[in-house]
Amino acid sequence: MTATSIETPVETSVEANRPLTFRERHASQIRQWRLYAHMFRKSFSSMLGLTLVVLFLLLAAFGPLLAPYPEAASGAINMSAKLQPPSAQYLFGTDEMGADIFSRVIMGARTSLWIGVIITGLAAIIGVPLGIIAGYSGGWVRAVIMRITELFLAVPGLALALAIVAALGPGITNCVLALAIVWWPGYVRLVEAKTLSVKEELFVESARSIGAKTPWILWHHILPNCLSPIIVKISMDMGMAILSAASLGFIGLGALPPAPEWGAMISVARTYMPDWWWYSLFPGAGIFLTVLGFNLLGDGLRDILDPRTRDR
Amino acid sequence: MTEPLLDIKDYRLHIATFDGAVHVLKGINLTVNRGDTLGIVGESGSGKTVLVRSVLGIGPRNSKVLQGSIAFDGQDITHLSEKDWTKIRGIRISMIFQDPMTYLNPLFTVGRQIADVIAAHEKAAVNGVSSKAARRTRTEELLDQVGLPNPSMLFSQYPHQLSGGMRQRVLIAMALAGRPDILIADEPTTALDVTVQAQVLDLINSLVEKLNLTVIMISHDIGAIATIAKRCAVMYKGEIVEQGLTSDILNRPQHEYTQRLLAAVPDIDAAAEKLPAEPAATEPAKPGILLEAIDLKKVYRSQSGAEFTAVNSLSLSVKTGEIFGVVGESGSGKSTLARMLLSLIEPTSGDVIFDGTNITGLAGEPLRQMRRHMQFVFQNPHSALNGRHTIGDAIGEPLRIQTSMSRRDIEARAEALLDIVQLPKSFKYRYPHELSGGQKQRVCIARAIALNPRLLILDEPTSALDISVQAQVLDFLQELRSELGLTYVFISHNLAVIRQICDRTIVMKHGEIVEQGRTENVFLAPREAYTQALIESGRKTSQAATLRPGS
Amino acid sequence: MLTFAFRKLLTLVGTMIGIAALTFLITNVAPGDPARLVAGPNATEDMVATIRSEYGLDKSLPEQFSVYMGDLARGDLGTSIVTTRPVLEEVMRYAPATLELVFVAMFLGIIVGVPLGMLSAVYKDGPLDHVTRIFSISGVALPAFWFGIILQLMFAVDLGWLPVSGRLPLVTRPPEFYTGLLLVDSLISGRFSTFWTSLQHIILPAIVLSFPCLASILRVNRAEMIEVLQSDYIVAARAHGIASYRIVALYALKNAMLPTLAMIGLRFGWMLGSTVLVETVFDWPGIGLYAVSSALSSDFKPVVGVTLMIGFFFIVANTLVDLAYAWIDPRLRRA
Repeated sequence: MTATSIETPVETSVEANRPLTFRERHASQIRQWRLYAHMFRKSFSSMLGLTLVVLFLLLAAFGPLLAPYPEAASGAINMSAKLQPPSAQYLFGTDEMGADIFSRVIMGARTSLWIGVIITGLAAIIGVPLGIIAGYSGGWVRAVIMRITELFLAVPGLALALAIVAALGPGITNCVLALAIVWWPGYVRLVEAKTLSVKEELFVESARSIGAKTPWILWHHILPNCLSPIIVKISMDMGMAILSAASLGFIGLGALPPAPEWGAMISVARTYMPDWWWYSLFPGAGIFLTVLGFNLLGDGLRDILDPRTRDR
Repeated sequence: MTEPLLDIKDYRLHIATFDGAVHVLKGINLTVNRGDTLGIVGESGSGKTVLVRSVLGIGPRNSKVLQGSIAFDGQDITHLSEKDWTKIRGIRISMIFQDPMTYLNPLFTVGRQIADVIAAHEKAAVNGVSSKAARRTRTEELLDQVGLPNPSMLFSQYPHQLSGGMRQRVLIAMALAGRPDILIADEPTTALDVTVQAQVLDLINSLVEKLNLTVIMISHDIGAIATIAKRCAVMYKGEIVEQGLTSDILNRPQHEYTQRLLAAVPDIDAAAEKLPAEPAATEPAKPGILLEAIDLKKVYRSQSGAEFTAVNSLSLSVKTGEIFGVVGESGSGKSTLARMLLSLIEPTSGDVIFDGTNITGLAGEPLRQMRRHMQFVFQNPHSALNGRHTIGDAIGEPLRIQTSMSRRDIEARAEALLDIVQLPKSFKYRYPHELSGGQKQRVCIARAIALNPRLLILDEPTSALDISVQAQVLDFLQELRSELGLTYVFISHNLAVIRQICDRTIVMKHGEIVEQGRTENVFLAPREAYTQALIESGRKTSQAATLRPGS
Repeated sequence: MLTFAFRKLLTLVGTMIGIAALTFLITNVAPGDPARLVAGPNATEDMVATIRSEYGLDKSLPEQFSVYMGDLARGDLGTSIVTTRPVLEEVMRYAPATLELVFVAMFLGIIVGVPLGMLSAVYKDGPLDHVTRIFSISGVALPAFWFGIILQLMFAVDLGWLPVSGRLPLVTRPPEFYTGLLLVDSLISGRFSTFWTSLQHIILPAIVLSFPCLASILRVNRAEMIEVLQSDYIVAARAHGIASYRIVALYALKNAMLPTLAMIGLRFGWMLGSTVLVETVFDWPGIGLYAVSSALSSDFKPVVGVTLMIGFFFIVANTLVDLAYAWIDPRLRRA
């Protein structure tokens, strides 16, 4: 089993026995990441998205430290200062209870973050495995999973979520639960489609021919190749989930006042239109910028991760 | 002498990429006179496609002409405006493409697509557009001219309803619609079956005679070039290394690269150079049969319920230590057969017996154990490796699955395997996309032999590779076999390759064996008409054609 | 083609039954007690029990289900607690307003989105492309309810160009009923001033509703156009001398329309869902507003009725998209 007769055609073998440095061993990955970083930095919109998302995460993490009136978030009442326009003291003005809107908007970031994380997290945890199983196994397993998925997708998400919240009763927990229930089918469909195409690749057959079991193939071959679109979708969905929860809050079925939730704030603010315009303007801007940030980030990630749109 | 129809002078072009500019064409000088048939030979990456596309002004994005010029009929077309191109493209210079499936728009009828081209030409010629009926008549004429039966019915058919050869003829008809001065053919036969290739080449030849066409044909296939072109140019890494009369170049190649290239082309009319290692020597006690298929049958059922028999009652036996060839065109069922032999596809009926054990119907652990002994090397090394795994992981995977070796032992074994397939050890940290096709195929082979199998099934292992790389891999496979005492089942559509390395061969058509026997007998005295036709077509695309250049 | 259409029709019926089952599951398997929800927080046990038997909630789930499906098959969606009228009747009364809004919004989305997407693909990386890119991403990110409020502030309150809300002023007598769509009915009955008024009323909500839809149609169309324009057959068409504008407007657009159509179908459903927001902001008397006000008063029969109705419209739209697909793509026409 020796290869004495065969000469190594590439590279000199003088240094071949020297252990390689970390940099040399990972040269391929380093180049790949540098290429990603280069492409990401080059795009203004991707950088804008990243900035907005980082800003949002900072607000969510350090909100109570940054807010000038943290007690405003828990429904403190200060009737002497109610409905004041924006000023140096109250940057975004105050609401009908005299609470500082600037503080409430900052505190709202944390509410939105956990809403987004839980909805997309639950949806991905349910949807991704189901999608992989449906795509890989075929037959009646796939038929059952996909029929159920299609049923959920056959009713527009917001309408279905509304019906679920109506049945469960309003409140932020029920609202998050309802949105997670309507959200997972999206992942099933995405991952199933991707799995169907990946499973036709020769390397999957190659793994079968060396005797790999199904779980091995799913974990080592299918999942890594489905990851890019999943990451992109999660980034996009963070924004859309926050937006949907805010929508339910606006209708009055989501977070209930005085919880510092942007949608619920606008819901109350609407009754103070048009004279107290600042009341609805700033929470809305919070939603818009957050969702925009996640969408731009997802879009930028798609550009670098999805080879279809890649030029080189 | 009149001025040349096409005159390319010192043409340099580069393409901008993340890793810096890549110089694709480095000072090309080429002239084509009226009535010429010029062939451009080159392997992938030689820049031949970029060159001919530049002639049509449809070069790659991000490319930049650094120097030089292209003149067509006395007019400089290097930096022509999009508007002026419309007077040349498709009318005076037109092109036929490699893959007829992707070059026809799937949503429009064949007739509509050709008629639109005719209308575009009439508009450009400022003669006014002719009536719809007149265009239809002309379209049907063109379809008839390229030898397609029943043009009036074809007119209203969609591309997906036609076979590959028919689609290529449609593309040729489209290219002829403007009565072009120059016809550029970009690998017109590569995507087609051997017998269809020969037909298309014949068609181009007859059109050259009938219409007095000037043809530039590019191909990696020297045989095809020799069939068409009187003159030829050899391209290598963006340069023309040699040009002249085709017969001169083929018989007396001057440049070292041309010599290497010609030597690498397998010859359908030559017997295998080195006799295969004596199979009986390795296992004298058991001269017997390693793999046997009895009455194998595979029937696919489409959604509409129609049945399609991919492999029909096929029996074969492979002796220990031999190279067993399977030849057939696409659709002959050879890939299905290969997968049934390995139990990757369950046969509808019949048995596969490996070393005395019937492996059909095996499942779970016994099947996994059996897989150690028989391995598969796939046609396309580009997709047979998972792009997200390093080469080291890919080679180590069979060991991780089938053995309880420690991580360090696996690493060491992977390095040893890289050594066997003649790749540097540092490659284990690389990713597949960083390797060339030949290197990837070596990695696939390393993966296949990691578990010391006894049988390798090679499904067109070289058809996705360049000719010079193909020769290397074939040589290497033969060395490997004698070193490791392997048995091969070698599947190919390329008869010359089969003849070069196989001991015994079966010829397949529509899922059945047409002819079988010792390879030499099959090639020297084919009994069946189909085998004869196959070999005859194969000659046109083999070195054999070089003996009768331009015939 | 006909068998294809017939198969689609069968799927439509099947999906409808599935959606009915789904809504049943959601409203009945949910941990909350619907009877208590209906009765309100101050109800006594007796009142809850009465409501329970009145609604058949004391029966077993399978029994309830068969009653529910039987009612549905007869077109009985139950009765609203608040208005004490049959839900079906009310849904039918409100549906035209919603459909009118969605149609106008979809029309806006397509006539603006498709050409803009096409242009930004052709002039990729040009100034127009940058503008439409920002526009298309922010379009999806805009909260419809907030955007609606801002537009009301600007165009109705500040500038006074357009009415703040509603479908028609209270004093205006609606035109005779033909289709239920005011824009159409007013034209049929020749009342052009009513047409003009209702057009003014529909502009703002339609813009709000169509904005995200327009944005995503634009994005899909742009992305597909870019891909199609790089495809082999377009390269071939160029090589054969077909004029650029013809390639873009005829060949490439048809190929790019396939995924765009899918997006249009998807967005149609999304719009139906979003009507609950837009109709709330603009007091638009459609099924969205009806569902919201019912949900807020824990009147869940109407909510289920509206969900079923929206599901039905969505499936019909998707079936139409499938048929259009087959009409465009000959490869789908087989069998």
